[in-house]
Amino acid sequence: MDTIRLYLHSMRMLIRSQLQYPISFFLQTLAQLVMEGGEMLAVILLVDRFEHLNQWGAGDLYFFFGLMSVTFYLTECFGRGITGNFPYLVRTGQLDTFLVRPRGVLTQVMCSAVDPRRITCIAVGGAALIIGSGMAAIEWTAAKVLLMAEAILCGSILILGLFMIEAIFCIYSVKSIELVNALTYGGRSACEYPIDTYPRPLRVLFTVFAPFALTLHVPGAWILGKPLFGWPEWAVWVSPVSGIVFFWVIWGCFQKAMRHYRSTGS
Amino acid sequence: MRAYLSAFRMRRKMELQYRGAVLGGVICQVFFGLILVAIYRAMYTGKPQEIPLSHITSYVWLQQAFFRMLLASDPELTDKIRTGSIAYDLCRPLDLYGFYYVRIMAQKMTGSLLRAVPMLVFAFLLPEGWGLMLPASAAGFAWSVAGLFLGLLCVCALENITMGFTMRTLDARGMQALLNLLMMILAGNILPLTLFPDSWQRVITLLPYAQLLDAPIRLYTGDTPPSSAPGILLIQGIWVLLLTGVGILFWRANQKRLEIQGG
Repeated sequence: MDTIRLYLHSMRMLIRSQLQYPISFFLQTLAQLVMEGGEMLAVILLVDRFEHLNQWGAGDLYFFFGLMSVTFYLTECFGRGITGNFPYLVRTGQLDTFLVRPRGVLTQVMCSAVDPRRITCIAVGGAALIIGSGMAAIEWTAAKVLLMAEAILCGSILILGLFMIEAIFCIYSVKSIELVNALTYGGRSACEYPIDTYPRPLRVLFTVFAPFALTLHVPGAWILGKPLFGWPEWAVWVSPVSGIVFFWVIWGCFQKAMRHYRSTGS
Repeated sequence: MRAYLSAFRMRRKMELQYRGAVLGGVICQVFFGLILVAIYRAMYTGKPQEIPLSHITSYVWLQQAFFRMLLASDPELTDKIRTGSIAYDLCRPLDLYGFYYVRIMAQKMTGSLLRAVPMLVFAFLLPEGWGLMLPASAAGFAWSVAGLFLGLLCVCALENITMGFTMRTLDARGMQALLNLLMMILAGNILPLTLFPDSWQRVITLLPYAQLLDAPIRLYTGDTPPSSAPGILLIQGIWVLLLTGVGILFWRANQKRLEIQGG
């Protein structure tokens, strides 16, 4: 409880500090809107030209797009500490100050940043979800709402785990390895579309190694009434948990890596 | 003239220093290229289009290969504006606009060629229907190289206009991000312009952003036949003159009321 209170307090302070430069903040938020709007526009134009992708119609595709962008940008907004400057903290040796404080490292990293500019991205994703669910004529039930919440939560945790990989590499190599971003941002771009779009190697990558398909696409497809892989209903509820498992594995690696941590600071 | 040439050379040498970073960037870009190609391939199996798939995949690879040409800005200049050391540049016996124009040109040209060569080789080696096609004709290829050079001049002029905003507002992260995103969309990086609705294409291809990569790529794939190439190059040339002119006037106006930061 104390941790959550601390987190909320940090968020309040950080948001207040960002609002000190209102014009820059407004323009950057607007830029986020243009960015995500552009991505959405690409999907709309593709749907306009091609009408469908395998068994997925226009509404389905908007729904998948919305699911991914809501999940990804919620994570980038509230988990900015991990998705943003975690590698930077390791590289500059600023992580040292975190180690002497009486709180967990991860808690402090989470409390170190927030990115309210992402609100416009989340809004675009939300709009895509609403439009998609309308066009695909989804009949919402309590179970479907619950499953979607589970998918978004587990997806967020998965994304946090993916971003932590870069921080782990940083502990060993000091130099930031941007290659890892291929998995995070590449995963986002790829999994805006349902997993069966891709040839086998990419499908395996995003199902087994970075399980976006299990956390987002399997529940998403079930909500749309077109279950993926022909899996039974209970499997749909279990599969998003893979995101938590993934994070747990990475968290274990991080703990191990921290034992090797040597400060780079002066 | 010699001074500008040596500024160009210095910047080029500097850009060649970070070859390790280039490899990471290339792998990232290749990965994104593969994802995009997979999406368009899946779309094409459902409903083939008038424009052949090989043109679309080539479009994707050429866009990815020259990505660095679009998004590269001079971090030193932004720093100088913010810290006030731009005052030193004002003392140089050189035109400020020209000096930074050749610098950004060296950066964009070297950076993108360094990445484009390995990426295009890789794309050529990919199996049929995934990779980069050979140019439609020898004439088309020659025109597209000329078009690419004009595109480079265009993007450098655009970059300097963006920098003009930075001089005015000191912190232009917002404005810079906004203009860059507009560029990514309208240059065809996010979605090939050839897949935009046909009625939109007629307008979009006339905008300055389409002159950067879209125009040369169409000449390469043969979507624009070599016979209409002179007209395309003329449009590009007009935009180069226009954007450079606007940039020069903008920078002049900025220099008159430039606030030097620092103390």
